[in-house]
Amino acid sequence: MLQITDLHAETAGKTILQGLSLQINAGEVHAIMGPNGAGKSTLAYTLGGRPGYEVTAGSATFDGADLLALEPHERAAAGLFLGFQYPVEIPGVSNLQFLRTALNAQKRARGEAELSGGEFIKLARAQANALGLDPEMLKRPVNVGFSGGEKKRAEMVQMGILAPKLAILDETDSGLDIDALRVVGQGINTIMRAPDKAVLLITHYQRLLDYVRPDFVHVLAGGRIVRSGGPELALELEREGYAEVAA
Amino acid sequence: MSLPLPSPRDEAWRWSDLSGLPALAEARPRGGVIDTSGLWLGCGGPRLLFVDGVLDEALSEPGPLGAGAVEVDSDHPLGRLARGAGWTLDLGKGHSPDATIEIVHVATGGASHVPARITLASEAQASIVETFVGDGWANRLTQVDLGDGARLMHAARLRQASGFTSLRIEGQVGTGASLVSTILAAGGAGTRIDAAVKLAAPGAFAEVGGALLARGGQRHDAAVTLRHEAPEGMSRQTWRAVADDHATASLAARVEVARHAQQTDGEQSLRGLLLRRTATVNLKPELEIFADDVKCAHGATVGELDRNALFYLASRGLPPLEAQALLTRAFVADALGRIGEAAVREAFEADADAWLGANP
Ligand SMILES: Nc1ncnc2c1ncn2[C@@H]1O[C@H](COP(=O)(O)OP(=O)(O)OP(=O)(O)O)[C@@H](O)[C@H]1O
Ligand SMILES: [Mg+2]
Repeated sequence: MLQITDLHAETAGKTILQGLSLQINAGEVHAIMGPNGAGKSTLAYTLGGRPGYEVTAGSATFDGADLLALEPHERAAAGLFLGFQYPVEIPGVSNLQFLRTALNAQKRARGEAELSGGEFIKLARAQANALGLDPEMLKRPVNVGFSGGEKKRAEMVQMGILAPKLAILDETDSGLDIDALRVVGQGINTIMRAPDKAVLLITHYQRLLDYVRPDFVHVLAGGRIVRSGGPELALELEREGYAEVAA
Repeated sequence: MSLPLPSPRDEAWRWSDLSGLPALAEARPRGGVIDTSGLWLGCGGPRLLFVDGVLDEALSEPGPLGAGAVEVDSDHPLGRLARGAGWTLDLGKGHSPDATIEIVHVATGGASHVPARITLASEAQASIVETFVGDGWANRLTQVDLGDGARLMHAARLRQASGFTSLRIEGQVGTGASLVSTILAAGGAGTRIDAAVKLAAPGAFAEVGGALLARGGQRHDAAVTLRHEAPEGMSRQTWRAVADDHATASLAARVEVARHAQQTDGEQSLRGLLLRRTATVNLKPELEIFADDVKCAHGATVGELDRNALFYLASRGLPPLEAQALLTRAFVADALGRIGEAAVREAFEADADAWLGANP
């Protein structure tokens, strides 16, 4: 589904990704762990097409198409979802208005029928309830006044509504309390655990991986994948730290 | 006919572009059959239709409104051009029409000058919505006199496709009375909005604000003075100016507090949004305060759309122009949110959406 080959990327004139390669197949869950500043968010932003993140070498294909040639909104319509480490607050725009516009823009781009107001509200309520977010919160402006944990739940509600093929979730577990972590973990499984979908989890902690069991775990350090393994690698990292494992 | 127009060298007119007015003043309206469907909000209340400044009696339902010669007296350079036939609303003590009054101004080229006078006796109430469409130059003078405890809600949407719309509002607000005027410029014409409102008696409330949306080579400007002449008055000015392409949107908002106007509460919020760096927003907040016990807050900022927000929206599938429209609409929401009646507010919001959605 996602094939990253020898990716080099820079931001603010600084080269961050230095030859990163990674293959994710449909039906798989991958976890990327790595020290602060290793380039994990840079990888997510580069794949999402964030302005200011420039690919200087290498390639990334999504379902065989050149991902890097697409505009950010086209990547979304192609089925890519980016869960933000720091979800953005948008005063004056309600979650419902935002998500309905987004979903229908995606559907239009794919040549699918758009959802009516009523159909959309039903979908949004169902997804909010599934993630333990009060549906009333969807009437409020996007992320404004949401607690850290509420923002992360809201991100998962967005994912549930948009139903992507590939989700790249950047520290979706940070800021979640113990109960929320379970709900969000189950949410990720419900929404994304399917033979035609895949997930890339960026995380620092094993605890999310207790709920969303990865098929592969990778260590990102110095802008490339330095080690890959199965779920046991995450436990090893937690026990011994990056210095030992990545050395 | 030579038109006595203010010069851009005059400080109060330096951001205005009146250069097209002499030609429009000479031009003849095309006239013809007017399609007014879609111009009425359907409030079911009194309504007037002016075509090129002339009342269309067949399509009007005046109710309490008067039509004909209006006595007005203004020394405003554009306002004083509006003389002769126009409309009036004169409500006696405690009177209030059942529904919102609608006035539609259709222009078919050329120039039209229409005066209006609104007089509400004590405790009277009215809500008036004006809609401007077509092309040419529509010049309007509206004088408002509110008795004690009277309330006037006024909203004007300027949707002319081209040409120029100039509004001059002069108001006098009595004890505990309230005047709220909200103006939306969301068409293709140039615009000049002038307002001078006196909070003449204790406890008066006056609010003049709105949103100016400008693109292409458009120029919109608003110059508003709210003058507190008595104690315990409250005034509000919430303006949002949006400029794209090479357009210019300008706001000069002034609060004056006379020496006796103690316990005045005045607030100004002027914000500009540049959708492109080639566009211009001018903001000029002014306070002139001669009383000492006064609470006046003002803020004026010009910015661009938040890049993080634009990427966030894009990452969820919104194409750039849709993302821009959504954020711009949020930007003007505060100003349009001042319109109290839901049906009127929604119509204005729809106009703003249409303008934003038409962005090429
Ligand atoms: N806009 C920027 N300007 C300058 N440096 C940047 C910018 N964005 C990222 N960097 C730098 O790039 C490096 C990688 O950052 P990135 O956010 O990708 O790390 P990360 O692995 O996600 O770290 P964390 O675990 O703390 O989230 C860091 O050294 C960071 O300071
Ligand atoms: Mg990060």
